[in-house]
Amino acid sequence: MSGKKENSMLEIHGLCASVEGTEILRGIDLEVKAGEVHAIMGPNGSGKSTLANVLAGREEYLVDAGTVQYNGIDLLELSADERACEGIFLAFQYPVSIPGISNAYFLRSALNAIRRYRDESEIDAVDFLELVRSRMDLVGMDEKLLHRAVNDGFSGGEKKRNEILQMAVLDPNLAILDETDSGLDIDALRIVAEGVNKLRKKERAIIVVTHYQRLLDYIVPDHVHVLSEGKIVRSGDKSLALELEKEGYSWIQADDARAGNNA
Amino acid sequence: MVAETWSKQVQTGSLNFDDQGVDLKRRRGRALEQFEQHGFPGRKHEEWRYTPLSRLAAGPCAPLLERSQEIAFCPDLPVDMLAKVVIVNGEFRADLSDLSRLPSAIRVQSLAQLRHSDPDQLASLLDLYWTQDSHPFYDLSDALLDDGVHIEVVEEGAKIDAPIHILHVLDGQARSGSAHVTGLIQLAAGAQLQLIEEIRSAGEVLGNLRWGIGLDPRSILKRVRAFRPECSSIFHGTRVIQQQDSRFEDLFCSSGAELIRNELHVSHEGTGCHCDLMGAYAGCGKDHLDHHTTIDHKVEDCTSNEIYRGVLSGQARGVFSGMIHVHQDAQRTDAKQSNDTILLSEGAEADTRPRLEIYADDVKCTHGATIGELDEDAIFYLRSRGVSPDEARKILVRAFTSEVFHGLEDRQLSDFIADEIQQSINPDGTNHE
Repeated sequence: MSGKKENSMLEIHGLCASVEGTEILRGIDLEVKAGEVHAIMGPNGSGKSTLANVLAGREEYLVDAGTVQYNGIDLLELSADERACEGIFLAFQYPVSIPGISNAYFLRSALNAIRRYRDESEIDAVDFLELVRSRMDLVGMDEKLLHRAVNDGFSGGEKKRNEILQMAVLDPNLAILDETDSGLDIDALRIVAEGVNKLRKKERAIIVVTHYQRLLDYIVPDHVHVLSEGKIVRSGDKSLALELEKEGYSWIQADDARAGNNA
Repeated sequence: MVAETWSKQVQTGSLNFDDQGVDLKRRRGRALEQFEQHGFPGRKHEEWRYTPLSRLAAGPCAPLLERSQEIAFCPDLPVDMLAKVVIVNGEFRADLSDLSRLPSAIRVQSLAQLRHSDPDQLASLLDLYWTQDSHPFYDLSDALLDDGVHIEVVEEGAKIDAPIHILHVLDGQARSGSAHVTGLIQLAAGAQLQLIEEIRSAGEVLGNLRWGIGLDPRSILKRVRAFRPECSSIFHGTRVIQQQDSRFEDLFCSSGAELIRNELHVSHEGTGCHCDLMGAYAGCGKDHLDHHTTIDHKVEDCTSNEIYRGVLSGQARGVFSGMIHVHQDAQRTDAKQSNDTILLSEGAEADTRPRLEIYADDVKCTHGATIGELDEDAIFYLRSRGVSPDEARKILVRAFTSEVFHGLEDRQLSDFIADEIQQSINPDGTNHE
């Protein structure tokens, strides 16, 4: 840990991962500090969502090589739920619906699981409701969604807003937003992005995974990384995203091909 | 075949009763004869194919000790009851019951009382519900008919707001044995009543419980049956006869038992009847939970909705056999039935047999059965929010059974029961030791 730079929350080195025998991540290096917003962009199949899911601890994704340090601990040693309790949050690209369980019950179970992990007392129903209500205002969510089954029959926008609500309530150190803009019209996109912006703070890092630049008009990143064929092929500031918007991904891939796939 | 011990026990027990009424005597005699002849049916008998009656045949047949001192094997249900009927080891216990707040619209007495005061009325009520066509448990109930409870809402249109709590305590801790209880319920036209039946057991017992329920026109009976954790062996049979525009809502809940055989027969005799038959159950270890329901749609414009959901782990077994019989005159019947099971382990097994027999041409009937596992995506979703795998599975089990509880307005009670089922689950599917 002696070589660790100050206030670096997440350090990924040479991360390789595969799913069902197919190699997807081929040596990712990434460093994220508290307070920063990083955007991971890239064409379909470049490994963006895999990176998000590997960080969240989905077991179908096998880490073949590399290290991930999170606040000085070996993240890869932790199970998905332990990672969440340590303050990592993944906003799903496709939030799962769970008929039969209310949103409120789901969220309270999650919050209390995290509080137990941290040796904090469980929150009671009254305090919980107060907390959730205050957070619902942030994402402009209707309170009646609280009492509906988790994501069951929700519109695309409602599902994504629900993810941000969960983030607001669970208060993570590191939030990873996986294609949070997919399936949203421009109004819904703006509302979701505004919610995320309100949750930016200096103790928190956010990784935004997206295919399109348009989300980054609203959530302005400090760093932009372009992923192609499982590697980060370009890093820069927010202007890189604009460049991509103009040129598309083909030039990156062409560049990458010319570079001869050297790691 | 009938085990010798059972035969002797039933014979001695049965001959002990000196009935006043001729009809009661006749029923007792016939039941004894039938039980002697047939005993517990074997696996070859279609209706009993999946029920391990051999466990019972080898089990305790001696009467349970009547005066059990202890009835608190588990925490009380959180309900404000209007009245409480406590039946310990088959005996109606006036000293433990509380009938002081009952309004005059409703009469509750012990079955033993009715047996002495009006044996002929009792016999005719029994004739109404149980025709004595050879059924091991109903025959045992008749042969050893002793006590139970008789509940009548006598005033037309009387709406009894708070529930009556019927607590069966089966205590085989000092000595294993069996108890046989008969309950009779009659609702006058337009009357409304709620029952919460609770079954607690400890030690090795066989509880043989049966109910005959008569619903006059427009009456509504809502019943919850809560089988508390770690029940021994229980047969629970109900016959319901519904008259015009009456409504019967039943909710069966069990968080595990060595053996429960739940038989439910609802007969719609008048038009416009409705019944809800709901069930939620969890089994682990070598638990066996066995449901046999029949709905007879005899006349037109009746509806029924049946949902049974089970979660099985260990080597637990769930059986569901649901018959919907739509008779020729029962036009415009609307009947729904489903049985869904989640298996949490390799060793758990579910046998489900939805059956429809339709003899009318203008009807709407749906039935279905599913057997599956918990949704892995949903488990990961919960885990990604900090919930442990075990708790995630428990939450999903609760989600799965929740629909069954929709009709129960008392949220506190439904949460309590759902919690109990949820807690009885061993999420990784292995056996509780």
